[in-house]
Amino acid sequence: MSASHSTAHAADTSKLSPQFHVAHHFDSADEQFDSAKLGVWLFLVTEILLFGGLFCAFAVFRSWHLEAFVSAHHHLDKVMGGINTVVLICSSLTMALGVRACQTNNQKQATAFLIATLLFAGAFLVIKYFEYSHKFHDGLLPGRYFTYAGAKYPDEKIFFGIYFMMTGIHGFHVVCGMVLIGWVLLRNMKGHFSSRYYVPVECVGLYWHLVDLVWIYLFPLLYLVG
Amino acid sequence: MAETAASHAHAPAHAEGTNYLNAQKGLMSWLTTVDHKRIGVMYLISTLVAFGLGGTFALLVRLELLGPKKDFLTADQYNQAFTLHGAIMVFLFIIPAVPGALANFVLPIMIGAKDVAFPKLNLASLYVYWAGAIICLSAVLTGGIDTGWTFYTPYSTVTSTSVISMTFGVFVLGFSSIFTGLNFIVTLHKLRVPGMSWFNMPLFLWATYATSVIQIMATPVLAITLVLLIAERAFGLGIFDPTLGGDPVLFQHFFWFYSHPAVYIMILPGMGIVSELIAVHARRRVFGYHAIAYSSIALALLGFLVWGHHMFVAGQSELAGVIFSFLTFFVAIPSGVKVFNWLATLWGGSIAFTTPMFYALSFLFLFTIGGLTGVFLGILSVDIHLHDTYFVVAHFHYVMMGGTVMAFLGGLYHWWPKITGRLYNDGLGKLACIIIFVGFNMTFFTQFILGSRGMPRRYYNYLDQYQPLHAFSTYGSWVLGAGFLLSLFVLMTSLRSGAKAPANPWGGASLEWHTQSPPVTENFPGTVEVKHGPYDFNAEGTK
Amino acid sequence: MSAHAHASEGHGHGHGHGGADHVPHVLPLPFYIGVWLALLVFTAITVAVSYVDFGIFNLVIALTVATMKAAMVSLIFMHLAFDKKFNGIIFVSSLVFLAIFIGFTMADTEGRGLAEGIEAKHPRDITNPFTGTEDEPLPGGATSAATSEAKSAAPSAGASPTQTPPAQGGGAASPAAGSPPAAGSNVAPGAGGAQPAAPQGETR
Repeated sequence: MSASHSTAHAADTSKLSPQFHVAHHFDSADEQFDSAKLGVWLFLVTEILLFGGLFCAFAVFRSWHLEAFVSAHHHLDKVMGGINTVVLICSSLTMALGVRACQTNNQKQATAFLIATLLFAGAFLVIKYFEYSHKFHDGLLPGRYFTYAGAKYPDEKIFFGIYFMMTGIHGFHVVCGMVLIGWVLLRNMKGHFSSRYYVPVECVGLYWHLVDLVWIYLFPLLYLVG
Repeated sequence: MAETAASHAHAPAHAEGTNYLNAQKGLMSWLTTVDHKRIGVMYLISTLVAFGLGGTFALLVRLELLGPKKDFLTADQYNQAFTLHGAIMVFLFIIPAVPGALANFVLPIMIGAKDVAFPKLNLASLYVYWAGAIICLSAVLTGGIDTGWTFYTPYSTVTSTSVISMTFGVFVLGFSSIFTGLNFIVTLHKLRVPGMSWFNMPLFLWATYATSVIQIMATPVLAITLVLLIAERAFGLGIFDPTLGGDPVLFQHFFWFYSHPAVYIMILPGMGIVSELIAVHARRRVFGYHAIAYSSIALALLGFLVWGHHMFVAGQSELAGVIFSFLTFFVAIPSGVKVFNWLATLWGGSIAFTTPMFYALSFLFLFTIGGLTGVFLGILSVDIHLHDTYFVVAHFHYVMMGGTVMAFLGGLYHWWPKITGRLYNDGLGKLACIIIFVGFNMTFFTQFILGSRGMPRRYYNYLDQYQPLHAFSTYGSWVLGAGFLLSLFVLMTSLRSGAKAPANPWGGASLEWHTQSPPVTENFPGTVEVKHGPYDFNAEGTK
Repeated sequence: MSAHAHASEGHGHGHGHGGADHVPHVLPLPFYIGVWLALLVFTAITVAVSYVDFGIFNLVIALTVATMKAAMVSLIFMHLAFDKKFNGIIFVSSLVFLAIFIGFTMADTEGRGLAEGIEAKHPRDITNPFTGTEDEPLPGGATSAATSEAKSAAPSAGASPTQTPPAQGGGAASPAAGSPPAAGSNVAPGAGGAQPAAPQGETR
């Protein structure tokens, strides 16, 4: 049903994305679209391997210092982490629906969904901020700055070193994602996107889902099993 | 995502004598170009400057080693000189040189495309390269760096030199490498003209594709390694620093997961160039096209399985050592496949002894030595004796300099008429190649002997018994330097006084020889037809 | 990165290529909502499970649930299920390379110290590795002082290389490990090598 909906609109292309054109070195709009997506997927691969290094360090040190890691992870707040997981999952949904709204030429809906995604992303960072400030207050800091007196094992400081690197770099990606979402939001409000041209929204969406994917693994590893 | 510059909209209407070099004028037209050929030329100039800088440090290192004890560099200055030589050569020259400069120039033309898939990203990669280079070199001004190009912990976490600016610069350079690789993969997948099937591509493109895969898969791990190293220095993270409970060998795992595949980023494009040089200048269809193509992919994948052979004596577990040593031998198979196929191509070909062919033959000779000595080093027990000696230094330089640099120069001489539209003095070009070949072997064959006798690397001082060999190696470095200067002189004079190059000076059959020299802005004036394979030297228009 | 910059170029340009217009593949709304609900349910499950101690299975369950969530996000939200196959291959290949990275690294970090135990049971004279005795264990442990080192220079045991792993930390030290364990002059370096330096010994 929705497919026929979009083709009906595609018949009248003159009003859709008036600036859109196929660049000189591409043969067709489809080829240009596929190229952009292929490029983004390759970029996502680099992101996966970037985080992969952190997961590798986590795996190695967890297996060396299992008791310390299990003990250290009890200092993390499962509830806050869980809420943040839900927030990110919701933001992923609104991002996907935002792309879908562009695909179906629903500019207003797309704007609403993109704004919602931005708000969820902001909420994630705010919750993260409270978590961080709590850790700072307790002295649960990486390596050399670890001053928490109640640690049972000295190697708990390594857990927090890895925790701050993982969540910090993830948080940095959330900030980058917010900038990108803001960019496509502005372009959408200017009417640049439609069913024939929405590849920036799609690509930012892919990036945003990857940020969510990384968190899907970070949350259980850091908060739940430690 | 990708699109054209405003000027390109009217590109098809070319006046006689118009080409990509003179289509637009002024510095800004270069700095804002999205033309892959202009970006390639800017990459070429940048990487050659880096090569000159890195070479200067190499000459300083060799000069210091002319005699034992201090000659003119202190121990600290010596450490900084070899670190800068290594870091500049690896990160600023050899990794970006062939993909950034030569592949950037010829890749889209070879597949009949007008440009790479993401032209702006291509320009961005050049700017990122410049930014990274400036950050790297700023380390020289803010205290230097003395860790060696590998930045091994724990020393790199405690030294007072500017590790952070150097590693941050390398981090930034990694993005440049990723952008280039990403661009090439998408270009090769999406922009081949009709008729240009995968197995109709010149072998250089297979090698470039394999290189790009490594750039995508390995470079991010270097990025996270350097971020962790910077964090280790800044916050005392405790991952790599043993005094905080970290593991320095883990740093080596991280580092070599990138840097071992990275040596294939360095050598694979060189192998691709040599495939072109040998086929074109022996005027014979490449023997075993599929074998060479697949061996490039095999090398790229195998390159990810062997990184632990850098750590046989670093405290890695014996189990891992055995696994990595075993897997290392497999790398010899695709490398051997290539060498034998090149030899078989030469056999019965009508070899033209041009400058590019001289470089290709030098490559074959030197790379084979470099590759075989690599097998020695892959053997666990032999490596315990040879580890961290000049044997390793010699092996590395035989592969990287005797291999990649020779191939790079050969490719540069091969495509120079296409890039600049000028012919050079072939006799002087060959003379330069011979001088480089002789100087190279004087410098580095000596180091095999030094290393097998126990001379450790990275020492500014040594026992008197090594002095004659060290001195001979230093003399060789001067011959080598003179050869490079002559080579540069040949190319520079061709710009001023070289004859105008025809479209196809070598009788090549791949598409880049079917457009004018230098090409027009969008590479081909009309539509591109693939009439024959890249090595059909009997086809019309390739005589 | 955007076509926006070319607004001034004229709109007709792209149409000259004769390419088909891009027609999106639109998924029905319930797909997205369903995946979202499933993700929330899985999150609740994984949090609930974490309050019960299943030992090693806590990790297994957590990772299994996470992987199922990740599969849903990538297949539906990221459209991999309906996309060009090659994008999926790229995605999966990144996981393969990641597995290689973590797997081989842990082959080292988990395997350290295995050989020392085996070699301690079967000491060999490194100058004559194929005829060494198998029965007699070495006198003294790895941290034996210089006095016992002199004893261990006896032909039966030799200075076992297995007990001096820190001596191999740098290439320069390997000659010491490889040199014949003659008594007299070699006692001091041998003992020094056998003494694990505090920060390094812990990490190897």
